Amino acid sequence: MAMHILTKYRHVFLVGLQSNLVYRWNFLIRGFFSLARLAVVFILWGAAYAGTAQIGGYSIGQTFTYFTALIALQFMIGAFNEDYQIGEEIRNGLINQFLLKPINYYLYRFTVFLAARVVSGILVFVPLLVVFPLLRSHLTLPTELWRPLLLVPALLLSALLQFTLAFCFGLLAFWFLEIQGFVILSFAAEMMLSGQIFPLDLLPPALFQAAQLLPFYYMMYFPAAILTGRIDLSSALHGFGFQVAWVLTFAIAARFIWLSGLRKHTAVGG
Amino acid sequence: MKLRQYLRIWLACVRYSLVRTMMFRFDFFLWSVVELAWMSVNVLLVEVIYRHTNSVAGWNKYEMLLLVGTSMLIQRLLMGLFWSNLFEMGRNVRTGTFDFYLAQPGNPLFMVSTRKLDPDGLANTVVAAAVIWYAAHRLGLHPGIGGVLLYLVLVAFGLVIHYSLFLLAASLTFWIIKTEGIEGSYFTVVDFSRLPREAFHGAANVLMVYLLPAVIVSNVPATTLIRGFRPAYALWLGAVAIVWFALAVYVFNRGLKRYASASS
Repeated sequence: MAMHILTKYRHVFLVGLQSNLVYRWNFLIRGFFSLARLAVVFILWGAAYAGTAQIGGYSIGQTFTYFTALIALQFMIGAFNEDYQIGEEIRNGLINQFLLKPINYYLYRFTVFLAARVVSGILVFVPLLVVFPLLRSHLTLPTELWRPLLLVPALLLSALLQFTLAFCFGLLAFWFLEIQGFVILSFAAEMMLSGQIFPLDLLPPALFQAAQLLPFYYMMYFPAAILTGRIDLSSALHGFGFQVAWVLTFAIAARFIWLSGLRKHTAVGG
Repeated sequence: MKLRQYLRIWLACVRYSLVRTMMFRFDFFLWSVVELAWMSVNVLLVEVIYRHTNSVAGWNKYEMLLLVGTSMLIQRLLMGLFWSNLFEMGRNVRTGTFDFYLAQPGNPLFMVSTRKLDPDGLANTVVAAAVIWYAAHRLGLHPGIGGVLLYLVLVAFGLVIHYSLFLLAASLTFWIIKTEGIEGSYFTVVDFSRLPREAFHGAANVLMVYLLPAVIVSNVPATTLIRGFRPAYALWLGAVAIVWFALAVYVFNRGLKRYASASS
């Protein structure tokens, strides 16, 4: 039985890989636009560091490394437009076919998401390698062995968190015609509170403490901080407790929204 | 006479947009909050950076806030007045609905650019203006009526430049049918406009300050308000606005000649 389920989702994964390879140019173009944003970051923070050797206890190289790592991680674990895709499937009735088949929509969608991130996560290294000669002298990674070991589970849980939040937002299409507004609003909150605008440890201490209680922290900043050395071992282990708790909370919320959405659903179109 | 006619067409579009907004009040509220959230992100970034340093490329915190506010003001004006029109142009060219604009009694570029207004973008110009006013207040600036008018003229030049850049990107749709991601190129330029000109060196300086009008768009108005009027600076911005606008109109018209009103 378990074997049977695995085969089922393996096929979903392979189909997901193929359909996302179609978008390889989109991912590449996005990757190159990210480089432009990286240039903005380098110019701004380069100027901010002009009069000072350290900001928040970190050198300019460490800050550049942080922002460069963010770009790679965004393409490896970020939810891009999964919320929109799910909303569209509900709106135009494509979702009906999943209701009739022995397949779990959440797992199906998550499998497709994983396939998409495998494709974009590999492709992002094309633009990064192109500028690597320019970047190399600015990058500095910590060498502790526990960091790569903890990075892997942190990334998986972050991906799960990002996807499940997007899944919940997509399901809003059961109630609202247009969900783009909600999506972009949550995106703004996520960008800021997950440390993609600035490293969160530069916030005033009280706000930084508060940010660690929110789910956004565990969607991007947490793995990025483990990788680039902005967090020590004991805080990292402590953080895993919160990350798992948020994954469970979101999964339960998704289940609840899904069930009440289905009651509302009238299966138009298809 | 001609001008009055265009003004009347524009006012009719404004009326239509306002009526539409009243119909979808929740949407208006939601999108206003969305734009407000994004502006807060930018203001917060300034707050955070200046917690750790006193000067970025010679700009202090409130000077930087004024620069960011200026950049936001120009962007909101573009969003409110032209964004969705030019954005939809791509789709209309693809589907053939663009015919509809050509049949209208007026200059096609005018008809394409002014059909819809986004009141949520315009509502947030008030927020951007408040940020600018607050920063100017903290800097102890008293520009007077003349100074404010000069600033607004320079902001208008900036708006012309942003409009031209976005029109150029949108016009590509006449040649390349799929132009997804054109808004990405616009936002990239906007990102650079929040940086002080003095932070640019070497190749970035040549490309972003001199070749592309990404940086001067916001830097010239903000510098003029903070450090006073420098004719050469203002003339530079004015000339760049004219050149890019002419280029964008030229490309748009070339594209128009190619348009075959095909639908797919």
